[in-house]
Amino acid sequence: MAEKIRPPRIRVSRRIKKNKVFKVKVKFDHPSFTGLAMADDTSDPVFNRAIPVTFIRNMLVYYGDELVSRLRLSSGIADEPLFTFKLKAIKEAPVKVVFIDNFGKRWEASKEIKFKG
Amino acid sequence: MKKFSKIFVISYCFSFFFFQTIFAGTVVDKFKIEGIRTIASTKALQSELLKKLDIKILDLNLKSTDSGWPVLRVEYDPEIVTRTKIETAIGEIEDPAGHNYKVHKGPLNANANLIEEENQAMMKFGDLTMDLKQVNNPTVDFDSSIKRGKDMFVKNCAKCHGLNGNGYGVVAHGFTTWPRQLWAWYKADSAADSYLYWIIENGKSDMPPWGLVLSEEERWDLINYIKTIKKPEGN
Repeated sequence: MAEKIRPPRIRVSRRIKKNKVFKVKVKFDHPSFTGLAMADDTSDPVFNRAIPVTFIRNMLVYYGDELVSRLRLSSGIADEPLFTFKLKAIKEAPVKVVFIDNFGKRWEASKEIKFKG
Repeated sequence: MKKFSKIFVISYCFSFFFFQTIFAGTVVDKFKIEGIRTIASTKALQSELLKKLDIKILDLNLKSTDSGWPVLRVEYDPEIVTRTKIETAIGEIEDPAGHNYKVHKGPLNANANLIEEENQAMMKFGDLTMDLKQVNNPTVDFDSSIKRGKDMFVKNCAKCHGLNGNGYGVVAHGFTTWPRQLWAWYKADSAADSYLYWIIENGKSDMPPWGLVLSEEERWDLINYIKTIKKPEGN
């Protein structure tokens, strides 16, 4: 499954001024499902495992060389999610986002930040 | 005496070979099954398999298995049917929605180990540090408490920790770490209470903070029940 997943795509605000907050959007076409089913809902636990689970378990955000955020995710995240977050433009350096799924597969995307205006 | 011994030996040999010919042929085997999505799925799998092969289905265990996967137990004569044939037959069956079943052969571990980058990230932005406080178990009627605790365990905890506490609940697949095997706390004394209470209240790693949902009494009921969970034989 990991072989068919494209790398994430990252987009940042067009005009980024020094020390101002800017938006980062990351789209990652990764499936997310629990793999659970209810083949017998008459007794607890109501769920049984139907198919293998898959989801993004960690999202790491780097600004330059520094890790600035770690998002611990679960199968509650949407299929093919779009993440939006904000950063303060303290330096001209790449913003890199790293995704790791529950199979230990890793993807990354990065965008250079340049001040304008 | 000699005559008696002779008769005994002959009878014994006769019985031995007689029963060998009846029971020697059957083998009991287990298959982890992928694709059981609905009630109709369970019926379709079993009925179609019986039509295809000369086997006996002993049971289909959906929830209380050691691995978290549904397990189909069958009995068959290996001279007529092989394990490979059964696996192939299972793969050919479609459920009412048109999905195929499959024998699960992949790694049980859908929880791949954390990579070094994740470990580094967790060292910087990790879980809460444990702040254990001294607690005293206020339970008076332990029998009732354990019974309530068991009901709560089956309803809330078994989906991750497994019905027998082995940590292989159906929902545990994919977690960063497998849930703890709860028989570690079998007959634990009050020294374990602070830790168990904190974990239930605050959660850890993939375990949610049940303190948001469970009252104090309910947490103690669970703790009292957890201490009765014994390691199953064979584990």
